[in-house]
Amino acid sequence: MVALAPDEAEIPRRRRGRLALWSSVAVGVVVVALIALLATRDPSGTRLANSPLLGKFAPDVSGQSIIVSPDGSSVPTFELGDQEGRWVIVNFFATWCVPCQEEQDDLVTLVADHAEADDLRVVSIVFSDTAANVERYFAERGGDWPVIDDPDGQMITDWGVTAVPESYIVDPNGYVRAKITGGVTSQRIEQLLVDLGGAS
Amino acid sequence: MYRRLGWIALAAVVGIALFVGTRPPEAPPTSTERADALAERIRCPTCRGQSVADSDAPASEFIREEIARQVEQGQSDQEIEDYLVSRYGDDVLLVPPRSGLASLVWVLPVVALVGAGAGLVVVFRRWGRAWVET
Repeated sequence: MVALAPDEAEIPRRRRGRLALWSSVAVGVVVVALIALLATRDPSGTRLANSPLLGKFAPDVSGQSIIVSPDGSSVPTFELGDQEGRWVIVNFFATWCVPCQEEQDDLVTLVADHAEADDLRVVSIVFSDTAANVERYFAERGGDWPVIDDPDGQMITDWGVTAVPESYIVDPNGYVRAKITGGVTSQRIEQLLVDLGGAS
Repeated sequence: MYRRLGWIALAAVVGIALFVGTRPPEAPPTSTERADALAERIRCPTCRGQSVADSDAPASEFIREEIARQVEQGQSDQEIEDYLVSRYGDDVLLVPPRSGLASLVWVLPVVALVGAGAGLVVVFRRWGRAWVET
């Protein structure tokens, strides 16, 4: 064991002190960056999501609606291919899903706001739910757009849906332009339409 | 003696090869077996590390139904996997593809193993030289 002179012992101690200081600064920078990232991203409830379908021609959505027309006289059918020239919000939902319940009012507002211009349609697709539940849900919460049942999940897998609510924006040429996971708001959709170059 | 042993070994190898080669082929898997095997290789999109075969999540049930439907329609395993990747992305495959960026999953362990082996060779040689010098 060699005893170090006071000066020689001081040097490694100073070096360790500097190392600790720089380590603390580095950790601090990472923590601040993480906080900034989490504070500025979309809330977890609503998020633009990636999908292999973005930029691709939209998969088919067609069928007879569960919901009858407002006057009860007819059962509308829906064909996505017939919607050329309009934006379409393809909304996957279930009555048991709380964020779906929360977004229903906004979808009603969205449809009403675009009724006169007739430049946007909403179509909902039932995810793991019953037609009876859906009829009751729409009667209680409003909404008179086409709602298509998908008991065998063909449309659900065609659109790569993982959980509800999930909504897709299809442009007037029939291409998928955005995927939104979580509940939507009418303002959010309007802003996205503006960002995507659509009239709002 | 050794020559005779060599001939015996050769005869054994040829006999085993003939036995294996002339056995009738195994029966092709049924549609259900194919669909089940495929479901084992597809990741549940809402769970962590579970296949759709093991998951009760609604999305997994729909994917299982879709796999069964496409198997019945005569689609090949590759076509069904390609379809699911085109809807859910590469992450839907539990076994990563051997091409593209995902192939790094296969390449990196080999590179790491070779690198570690080379490192050990260098270290052992250095230790050997040091031992000889002392």
